[in-house]
Amino acid sequence: MELIKRLVTFILIITLLGSLSACGSKTYSKKNNEKKGSKEIYRTLDEIKEDGTVNIGVFSDKNPFGYVDENGDYQGYDVYFAERLAKDMGVKINYVSTEAANRIEYLKTGKVDIILANFTVTDERKEEVDFALPYMNVSLGVASRSDNIIKSLDSLGKDDTVIVISGTTAENYMINNYPDVKLQKFDSYATAKEAFENGTGVAWANDNTEVIAFSLQNKGYTAGIPNLGSNDTIAPAVTKGNETLLEWINKDIKKLREEKFFHKAYDKTLAGTYGNEYKKSIVAESREKE
Amino acid sequence: MPDLGLEVLFKGSNMLRLLQGLWAAVEISLVSIVTSFPLGIILGIIMTKENILIKFLTKVYLEFIRIMPQLVLLFIVFFGSTKILGINLPGETSAIIVFVLWGVAEMGDLTRSAILSVPVHQYESSKALGLSKTQSYFYIILPQTLRRLVPLSINLVTRMVKTTSLVLMIGVVEVLKTGQQIIEANRMTSPNAAFGVFLVIFILYFLVCWPASIAARQLEKKWS
Amino acid sequence: MDFGYIEKVWPLYQKAALLTVKIGLEGVFLAILTGLFCAVVLYEKVPVIRHIVTVYIETSRNTPLLVQLFFIYYGLPKAGIMLSPETCGAAGLAFLGGSYMAEAFRSGLQGVDNIQKESAYSLGLSKAQIMCYVVLLQAVSTSIPAFLANIIFLLKETSVFSAVSLMDLMFTAKDLIGLYYKTTESLTLLVVFYLVILLPVLVAGAIAERRLRYAGFGA
Repeated sequence: MELIKRLVTFILIITLLGSLSACGSKTYSKKNNEKKGSKEIYRTLDEIKEDGTVNIGVFSDKNPFGYVDENGDYQGYDVYFAERLAKDMGVKINYVSTEAANRIEYLKTGKVDIILANFTVTDERKEEVDFALPYMNVSLGVASRSDNIIKSLDSLGKDDTVIVISGTTAENYMINNYPDVKLQKFDSYATAKEAFENGTGVAWANDNTEVIAFSLQNKGYTAGIPNLGSNDTIAPAVTKGNETLLEWINKDIKKLREEKFFHKAYDKTLAGTYGNEYKKSIVAESREKE
Repeated sequence: MPDLGLEVLFKGSNMLRLLQGLWAAVEISLVSIVTSFPLGIILGIIMTKENILIKFLTKVYLEFIRIMPQLVLLFIVFFGSTKILGINLPGETSAIIVFVLWGVAEMGDLTRSAILSVPVHQYESSKALGLSKTQSYFYIILPQTLRRLVPLSINLVTRMVKTTSLVLMIGVVEVLKTGQQIIEANRMTSPNAAFGVFLVIFILYFLVCWPASIAARQLEKKWS
Repeated sequence: MDFGYIEKVWPLYQKAALLTVKIGLEGVFLAILTGLFCAVVLYEKVPVIRHIVTVYIETSRNTPLLVQLFFIYYGLPKAGIMLSPETCGAAGLAFLGGSYMAEAFRSGLQGVDNIQKESAYSLGLSKAQIMCYVVLLQAVSTSIPAFLANIIFLLKETSVFSAVSLMDLMFTAKDLIGLYYKTTESLTLLVVFYLVILLPVLVAGAIAERRLRYAGFGA
């Protein structure tokens, strides 16, 4: 029996060491700040700089704002901004692909330092995370097939379903304002768009910027309702209480606005889809609102 | 033949990216397997002990892990670890923790039943031959247990590889997510890419799991 | 714990649980039929069909349900086959579960002694009668524990239905986290509801196993 015991202890130690090093190697570089009384964790500006890499949550399937191109590289308006933020901060970027519904959770649990995933500022979200200055304007919109254009949500039939993405402002808006409309929810932009193209649902409610882009990029679709709900803004978000990072981002945004960076970002990433028509309405510099 | 979007796979590095995505998933299962199998065997040996407390605790652990969908466990570890422990676990680590917990439970149960399936007369005969307890364990019981265990644990390996497809849901960029990204990037040029890409992922998983299944069956036949 | 929130979302969870059970059971039922068919085909060594069944079983056992569902729901419409999320969910479960049920039945069939068949034959029963009244009945009763284990497995697998936009328990929890940010409450409710659904099956499995052992079937 002695031999077995020794063997067992040996295996136990080896596997424990193995699993510890497997877990440790990815997390040890992060010093987590735990605020008293809350379980939210984040890294301060200095800690990020010291680490040399900033974790930024972006969409990987929301063309043209955050998506992955044919070579596997992140692209889009959000990403263009993220690159600049990291450059100004002097650190490298680790992109974390997020879905709409877990953006807040990713910040709260410290999985990302900044969310730049086309995150609309709302009062409810302000309770959970801290928003920096806005860099984009947005409201809601509805896309439908060109042979059955939906111009008003009141004209929907009883059996018509509308596609929404779980965790978006559009979902919230539909639940609160059109509780009787049948919703079909998807957990990512990729699946929602694929299903919409396959013929699911009569319409797709989302950010107006996104449904307009989708209708411009894909034949046979029209943004029948280009403006719905209130006019909102999109801003970077950080974990609640992460003041050093928030202040730094705000300072950087002010500087970027002065040099008309967001106009340039529009030209580089959005003009190909929208032309110049939407520049005034989308870029936050043109419609100052703080 | 309608266009089913297979050409997308030959564009640029798309196929390579899919394979890398597959590797991300398989890697998670390999690390989990290497960690959980020895631990599971130990748990299995412990479970054969006639101690009410041990029996109760291991039973509760085993049944809870077995009854909860792996996806639920993944969510609890991925988001709950920060809430409870105040640490942030990346998706990969969360997945490894869940798969190890699951693997230990399943492997423990397999080991337990494999040990118990060795007939009592084997113990008795080896005792009658004058072998010590350690000797009979090593030369008589363990080899027989292992023979029963190997095919069953290979099956567990394929189940684990299959289950790693779930890590998509906790933000790990693996083969399905890569597939979606490829479909997205080519939406305008090949609107039908979803068919080809998902079919290929389907085949890739099959190619990983099938050989293991065959090996398990052959061993089972050979050793039974 | 925010009990006001729990009260508010309770009906949503209930609805999701019902949907999970409904589609789960539909899938299980179809899986049983598929499994029974496959097991009999393999047992009787029906030519040609036997090979098709083998190919199906290998494909179904060696691919993840999530991948199967992605292909069925997002891929097949490109080839002109469009299914509703509910149908997809049930069909996916049936496709996956069929092979597992076939395996359960097969081992049950093999457990039936040859002497049973011979006696039935000498009593003048036809081949079909022997299959139905003698072999299958005994096979089914011996495979009940494996069978219930498969049902638990399949009901658990429903958790990936969010991929095809079915509002099952898992997706409801995820959706509510995205809407109201109450992660702890949402996940706790999720665990509770799964336990409520799955524990009875687990207990039934344990009872069935004990009964069968007494009856001398399972041994």
